[in-house]
Amino acid sequence: MTAETEPAHPVTGLDDVVHQRVRLGILTIAHEARRVEFGYLRGQLQLTAGNLSQHLGVLETAGLIEVEKGYEGRRGRTWITLTAAGRSALAEEIGRLKLLIARVETAEG
Amino acid sequence: MTTDAVPGDPRRLLSEVRDLAHRVRRDQRVTWVALLVLAVVTFAAIPFDWFGMEVRCAPTGECEFSRDGVLYYWPPALLMAYAAIAYAYRRVARSRGVEARVLPYAITGAALILVFLAAWVAVRVYLADNPPPAEPLAYGWMVLDRLVAPWGIIGVALLVLARLERNTGLLLFTLGYLAVVLVPIDFGWQAHQSVPAEFVPQQVINGLVLLLGAAGFALARRR
Repeated sequence: MTAETEPAHPVTGLDDVVHQRVRLGILTIAHEARRVEFGYLRGQLQLTAGNLSQHLGVLETAGLIEVEKGYEGRRGRTWITLTAAGRSALAEEIGRLKLLIARVETAEG
Repeated sequence: MTTDAVPGDPRRLLSEVRDLAHRVRRDQRVTWVALLVLAVVTFAAIPFDWFGMEVRCAPTGECEFSRDGVLYYWPPALLMAYAAIAYAYRRVARSRGVEARVLPYAITGAALILVFLAAWVAVRVYLADNPPPAEPLAYGWMVLDRLVAPWGIIGVALLVLARLERNTGLLLFTLGYLAVVLVPIDFGWQAHQSVPAEFVPQQVINGLVLLLGAAGFALARRR
């Protein structure tokens, strides 16, 4: 007779880089568009420029987004693109959140 | 959103993610521009079809016609329309701070023009060696003929745009438009018209549906 091993709790697989409200928001927005501009992200997430830059730095270091700086006329523009790793990290996070919800609902039921 | 770590309620977090995704999708849409451009192209096609049509009538009253105006007008007109739509999407979305994924729509539209041309050539090749099929044509053939015609391929490409934008409103509108194109509205006007005039009402209806759609989506955007 083999001992049944209980599947790991969804929380154990959560990635600290992605499992953070602002960073999850950045990845979600970047996922929906080809590219998003820094100012757009700031407006949608209601953050200061410094705060947003910090979060973008964390995501860029983790290889989940690409940051591209350029000019449009005289105005500096920063564009953010989701990488393939970012896409799968986001999908994984959403999957785990759904699992968590299912767990909570089962426990409540 | 705050910079706090994720609180314990994953439901709330997922709902925030969905809300954000919905807002970004909405900010990329310029659906009314696409429909307006297609409506303009549809209305502009009418004189090309009328004056470009070759009609040969036998003394018995039977007429043969060839809609060369459709062949020469639509491919370049649709190519320009898709280029204009892609440009407008890019420009408007960029001004809002997002870059839309509109290229697959423009590419599908261009590919469908090739389908229309291939169907046209296939019919010409067939008719060169075979007698015209007996009238009326089977219903399925008529629907297929309308689907690969320019008005039909506009609808098929719009389905792709609805999928790209995850735009349920556009999907429902396109299904309605395709229904009008594939099952034409006929109040008996065909029996009393000359051959070129027979095709005008349906083209006006197709153009009006697109124009009303453009107005509807523009109004919805303003709200």
